[in-house]
Amino acid sequence: MTTPVLENGISLRGVVKTYGATLALAGVDLDLKPGEVLGIAGPNGAGKSTLVRMIAGEERPTLGKLTFDGRPWSPVDEWQAVAVVHQEPQLFPNLTIAENVMVGRENSGNSRPKLNPSDAAVMDALGIGHLKDKALEDCSLATQQRTEIARAVARDSKVFLFDEPNSALTAEESDELFREIHQLAKSGQIVVLVTHRLADFVAHCSRVAVVRDGKVRIILEGDDLTEDGIARQLVTESVLSASGPERNRDKFAGAPDVFRTRGWTHPNAFSDIDLAGGPGEIVALFGVEGSGARELLRSLAGLEKSTGSVEIGNLSGVEALNKSTAYVPATRQLSLYSNFSVGDNLLVRLGYPDIAGPGYMLKMRQMKVLAQSAVTRFLVKTGSTAQPIRSLSGGNQQKVAIAQALHAAPKLLLLEEPTRGVDIHSKAEIYRLLRDYADQGNSVVIFCTEVLEVFEAADRVHVVAHGRLTPSLRIEDYDQVEQLATDIMRLEQSSRPEAAA
Amino acid sequence: MTGTESAQAAAPKQSMSGAGKATIDVALRLGGLFAAIVVVAIIFIIINPNIANLNMAGSVLRSMSSVAIMALGLTLVIVVGEIDLSFGAIYGLAINALAVLWIVNGVPVYFAMPIAILIGALVGLFNGFLVTQLKIPSFIVTLGSYNLLYGVTLWVSNTATYNPAYPPPGKTVPQGELDFFVGLTQPIGPFRLSLEVIWMIGIAIVVGLLLHRSLFGFRLMAIGGNPTAAALARLPVRSYKVMAFVLCGVLAAIAGVLDFSFIQTSQPNTGLSATFPVFAAVIIGGASLSGGKGTVIGTLGGALLLAELQLGLSILSPGAHVQQIFLGAVTIGAVALDLFLTKLRKSRSA
Repeated sequence: MTTPVLENGISLRGVVKTYGATLALAGVDLDLKPGEVLGIAGPNGAGKSTLVRMIAGEERPTLGKLTFDGRPWSPVDEWQAVAVVHQEPQLFPNLTIAENVMVGRENSGNSRPKLNPSDAAVMDALGIGHLKDKALEDCSLATQQRTEIARAVARDSKVFLFDEPNSALTAEESDELFREIHQLAKSGQIVVLVTHRLADFVAHCSRVAVVRDGKVRIILEGDDLTEDGIARQLVTESVLSASGPERNRDKFAGAPDVFRTRGWTHPNAFSDIDLAGGPGEIVALFGVEGSGARELLRSLAGLEKSTGSVEIGNLSGVEALNKSTAYVPATRQLSLYSNFSVGDNLLVRLGYPDIAGPGYMLKMRQMKVLAQSAVTRFLVKTGSTAQPIRSLSGGNQQKVAIAQALHAAPKLLLLEEPTRGVDIHSKAEIYRLLRDYADQGNSVVIFCTEVLEVFEAADRVHVVAHGRLTPSLRIEDYDQVEQLATDIMRLEQSSRPEAAA
Repeated sequence: MTGTESAQAAAPKQSMSGAGKATIDVALRLGGLFAAIVVVAIIFIIINPNIANLNMAGSVLRSMSSVAIMALGLTLVIVVGEIDLSFGAIYGLAINALAVLWIVNGVPVYFAMPIAILIGALVGLFNGFLVTQLKIPSFIVTLGSYNLLYGVTLWVSNTATYNPAYPPPGKTVPQGELDFFVGLTQPIGPFRLSLEVIWMIGIAIVVGLLLHRSLFGFRLMAIGGNPTAAALARLPVRSYKVMAFVLCGVLAAIAGVLDFSFIQTSQPNTGLSATFPVFAAVIIGGASLSGGKGTVIGTLGGALLLAELQLGLSILSPGAHVQQIFLGAVTIGAVALDLFLTKLRKSRSA
């Protein structure tokens, strides 16, 4: 650690964070200077979130130190110095905008707090002054985010963290937000931006730190700061594990498609989608939040009302969606039952006659056997099937979540970010499970936000942007993930002006 | 995003050694409950050795039975993650509907009884429909139906009390029907144990099989444990919730019919005061109001402990206030014990 700590700004030196046996940050050195917008990029599970939480003071480092203006700093104690603007504002929906700005800083005494002139000035400067008596829940997301900024400015925050702030905003609102962000930086505050949109990094950040495997791999600035540059940095090296299972499409050569949609349209997320997948095929839908990719996946599970035609096997329409698909949401909290053991979690989607016999009584012995065989088949590392589900590691919980869905024997398996927050080893095993399942003559569709996942798991990828599907790219045409990343980025961009027109 | 990630990262921290820990916890919890039942009995016997006889034990079992039957129904609703406040009113309506149909209108008891139970089922259907289709929180729906049913009961019964042995002027109750009805809960055997206890045990076995050994119970637990996941997994969330309400209504009506057979006097406001003791029995039995947790044996233990305290205190104590204070203290104590055990387990495995 030869680099001196900053006299002005925040310095992280050798910061390590562990959760039990998991190393989330493996020695991070990073400087945050006042007056600049610093971008933090990184794939999911790389430690980016932990780093942001560390700066925000929601976590304390296990080792290493943080300094602010040269003195040791613990944001946990000075929480008001740091403001985090989330994708979903963390405010009080039942209070008015003005009350939201004031709350937590009321004067002593019992009188109901009144808006003081300086708060009013802050709100006016952000263009929300005229809305001050409106309930927050009645305001647009952009206004809510501005309220969050106003709240932070009013309490003299020195550090502003923007965590995916514009993913749900319109282009116009987003431009406006970035004007505010630059304004904050100009007034000498420390501003950090985390986003999946690489273009925003290039347009708005002076430096971008790329976090991978718990470390800051590189800091891009000046001419090196391009979308391509970031995309490359996000994926390099970590592909070592991508040896992956063999892709044997030949087995199903000439077989008819497992599923097919025509003119598949959602009222506000996507329109006129023609998507198909054959047996043995894993199709990835790549898209940022708000692109319509997630909604497209959910619509195939029958969770989003859509129009158009869909066929799966020899069923069609809603019946096909309900009978032939199974869906695994991105968060495990949405698929696991914390009151159940590992075994019961594996079997929960089964019914008569698999686990219940005559009179719908459970076959207890059969359940034990099935659970045990599922644990072996799906590579779940657990002491016994009677163990509570929460005692498993994240990766193993995810395997249970996927195994649950596979038990429903869907022709079309739908997964949302199947390896989010999963360690590398489990990741490879999960990809193997998906491949094995596809090889039994089924189709798998995954929604991805990471190019690396597309490269390691899928046969084909469609980029979804602004509710439209691009023609698919074949993964086997790519030797290196960087090329794929570049092409995906290109496709994503090329569909942008079209939407603006 | 940040929250889930840290939770995932933190997961491996917990020890992997706890095979069957959940089962052990349930066993511990039940062990504690039944130990409390024994200790309370011993304390009463030390204070007054005269109460140590089997007749007294029979009385405790009799007085717990209607509470237990209602509590079993409530357990199903609580396991699926909902709340029912209306079962006491269903109990009262069933008694009064039966009394009016049979004693006043001369409907043979063999038909009037099933009708009373059917009324319980229909109220459950009504509750379940409002909760699952109109998405009104069950607390509000059943608070409403509690009052609504009490109103209907006052109307139906004309705020009168009825006794089949002493029908109102101009009405007669055939002796055969009376004997049959009273016979439903007559005392049998050398210790004069009421048949109502046998009914309770039979119902407990059926509900136990349903909750712990059938696909219905398995899914009920899943839905209560994580309703969102159950819906995404296409489990029949709505119909199972409705079924839970229906069963709760049916069991409350059955409890009413049996108690009417035993007490033989109907009152317009009967059953309303059972609401909170029944809740207490379920909670003391270890069910969680957030759903997905609850056992038949625990609920029976809760009802037994309450009946024991109530009868023992009414024999020994200077007044009703003591029973009431104990009811409150035991309820809070049981939940405090639950939280303590959970904390203990977490600190053990961390």
